[in-house]
Amino acid sequence: MMTAELAYPEAMGETVLDTNRLITMANQIGDFFAPYPRARRAEGIRNHLRTYWDPRMREGLLAHIERGAEGLHPHVIEGARLLLQTDRATRGYYGPPKA
Amino acid sequence: MANPIKPDRSVITTCAYCGVGCGFKAETYQGRVVRMIPWKEGKANHGHSCVKGRFAFDYYQHPDRVRTPLIRRSIEEPWREVGWDEAIRHAASELRRIQAKYGKKSVGAVSSSRCTNEEIFLVQKLARAVLGNNNIDNCARICHSPTQFGLSATVGWGAASQHFDSILQADVIMVVGANPTEGHPVFGSLIKRRVRQGATLIVIDPRHTETVDSAHCRATVHLALRPGTNVAVLDSIAHVIVREGLFNERFVRDRCEWDEFEGWSALVSSDRYAPERIGPEAGIAAEDIRRAARLYAGGPNSAIYYGLGVTEHSQGSTGVMCLGNLALACGMLGREGVGVNPLRGQGNVQGGSCLGSWPHVFSGYRFVTDPDVRGSFERDWGVTLDDEPGLRLPNMFDAALTGHFRGMYIMGEDPVQSDPNQQHVIAAMRNMECVVLQDLFLNETSRYAHVFLPGSSSLEKEGTFTSAERRVNRVRKVVEPLAGHQDWEIVVKLMNALGYPAQYAHAGEILDEIARLSPAYKGLSFALLDRIGSAQWPCDENAPEGTEVLHKVSFPRANGRGTFMLTEYVPTVERISDRYPLLLTTGRILSQYNVGTQTRRTANSLWHPEDLLEIHSEDAKSRGIADGELVTVTSKFGSTRLRAKFSQRVNPGIVYTTFHHAQSKANVLTSDLSDWATNCPEYKVTAVEVARVAAPQERAAACRNETAAVEEATA
Repeated sequence: MMTAELAYPEAMGETVLDTNRLITMANQIGDFFAPYPRARRAEGIRNHLRTYWDPRMREGLLAHIERGAEGLHPHVIEGARLLLQTDRATRGYYGPPKA
Repeated sequence: MANPIKPDRSVITTCAYCGVGCGFKAETYQGRVVRMIPWKEGKANHGHSCVKGRFAFDYYQHPDRVRTPLIRRSIEEPWREVGWDEAIRHAASELRRIQAKYGKKSVGAVSSSRCTNEEIFLVQKLARAVLGNNNIDNCARICHSPTQFGLSATVGWGAASQHFDSILQADVIMVVGANPTEGHPVFGSLIKRRVRQGATLIVIDPRHTETVDSAHCRATVHLALRPGTNVAVLDSIAHVIVREGLFNERFVRDRCEWDEFEGWSALVSSDRYAPERIGPEAGIAAEDIRRAARLYAGGPNSAIYYGLGVTEHSQGSTGVMCLGNLALACGMLGREGVGVNPLRGQGNVQGGSCLGSWPHVFSGYRFVTDPDVRGSFERDWGVTLDDEPGLRLPNMFDAALTGHFRGMYIMGEDPVQSDPNQQHVIAAMRNMECVVLQDLFLNETSRYAHVFLPGSSSLEKEGTFTSAERRVNRVRKVVEPLAGHQDWEIVVKLMNALGYPAQYAHAGEILDEIARLSPAYKGLSFALLDRIGSAQWPCDENAPEGTEVLHKVSFPRANGRGTFMLTEYVPTVERISDRYPLLLTTGRILSQYNVGTQTRRTANSLWHPEDLLEIHSEDAKSRGIADGELVTVTSKFGSTRLRAKFSQRVNPGIVYTTFHHAQSKANVLTSDLSDWATNCPEYKVTAVEVARVAAPQERAAACRNETAAVEEATA
């Protein structure tokens, strides 16, 4: 095998995707929901992350927020934090964010 | 050579090249295809065809076809020919070894829109039910994933609202980011026919395409916008419609969510979307934006057709929503002659989208996170399924680079050639311990594969394709599979070797399973299609022979109403600079198809032996470039060589190329930017610089290589 050339021959990186990639993607999602009123904006971001992101990507983003959230827009942080309130979670949906 | 005039057999089947889905009579003589005759009863083509479907079929028996499975321990070693059992056993044991070592989610699968519905459905079943995760994606990720997202959000279903013939009742035809004359020629002819009958044509595209101006076809308004400004221009059109009160209030009140309409109209009517502001930014006249808006809203029947020029942007999904918003606001949905219609690139992109080859939804676009939907599949398949979304194709590559993703099963795709930022993809492929590739040819991706399973062409299999008009057409076996098995049979072998007892007597049984588990396909079966020829979904007890026009009474959303999304323009971060002052955009040519895997292996290459860089003479002359000269094209991500062609079809500041030939390496240039919602790559906007190839002797050598490559391709 050609494992000598692998960036991670046996072990795995700390996050499933490079953290900078997660930040870029999360901020892009935030840019889309930015025009909505605050509560809907946060919910739109939550629903998107919950329905489209692999759980390890969500964990990576939340871990980055725990570490100070550098580079993330404030409303993205707000939306991502809603992921932690699993009791308030709604089913995935298409369409405008709900209030 | 035997005279092919008198074929001894004829089979009705469906062309796999583009999303039009033309019916053909494939005629054979002594077991070989001798000609493809466009079928008069084909509901999409009515006896017409283009030069791909008609002539580009010989690839199926090209000497390059692989006829035996191949394996190797590392990508440095040469391939070793093995029997089917050994290849399948090896692939299965490698995938299981990787999962045991790195976790259940360290492997995944990718299917292709060149494959049948039945095959696409089986590959997602393999990922979900057998590999036990939702790491399943298909190539629509990199072309029309924003269509599914943007149309689902506004009108409820990610599919064309009309049948193709509906255009014959349109008064205004708006083509956005598409060149149907080249990319979807048979439908392009239908557009021309309607324009000749007097319909008004609006084209929104950076390039002066053949659709804008050619024999029999001229656009009344052409918005030659700068690549990357779609959302701004579409919002500006909406601005005019709202400010001038041209929207259809009755339709919006009766059929849509009024509150969301109010939010949307407040956004687009803002001064920042005034044509006088957006026009200069997009490089077009404000008055042309106003004309386009008035024409579209005025109808009375206005129909939108769009392509990858809308989707392949960092705001691709937002662009699709803009189109949904416009059609709803003007009441251009729910009858003949109107609608919002994606033009799909490959034969079965719509099917790929419908049949659950996505990491977040099962067939019918229903979320894997929904316990009721998941339960229906768990009961049918007899296993517990992962309740979390998996990795999307670009994320699989990203995760390969962090060591979290180590093995992949790829059916009918060539990500190394077709996916963006080639260096990134190659680095990811090199990080994988087992890549199982199933294809007709040893493509670019095969350089990084460990197992090669020789697949079958669409002439060698049974199944169905779903065309861009939601039409499910039969694909029939015309000749025997060259390597012995239809692709779905190979998937079943792999499922069995991985320990899952799948069994199907024929492809029709897979369609029966699809029908059982997907509401829109409920009424479909081989028996129905053999009886009536084809059917457009939804096909169920309410519409036993299918549905031509969607949204006639209500929209497939919880409250039955269409809705509006806020589509703020967010400029892409990919911008021109002093170093990269030109914008590169890409497209297709009539005689070739996508990455050319098939068409390059036919005589069609005589028409298009190489990809050319279209450049405005002004830009060329300021760089000392002569017409026909080889040039270097460089972006932040890489560099390649193409032959320059002076062209009036592109504005100064814009260059354009096709991507049909592997040696052109167009995706060495493209960026890793992607759509905010779906990660669909931003292929359509790359900042580049173009320069003469330096030394004359180098140029001569390059010319020789080019000629050799052309000869090889056309041999």
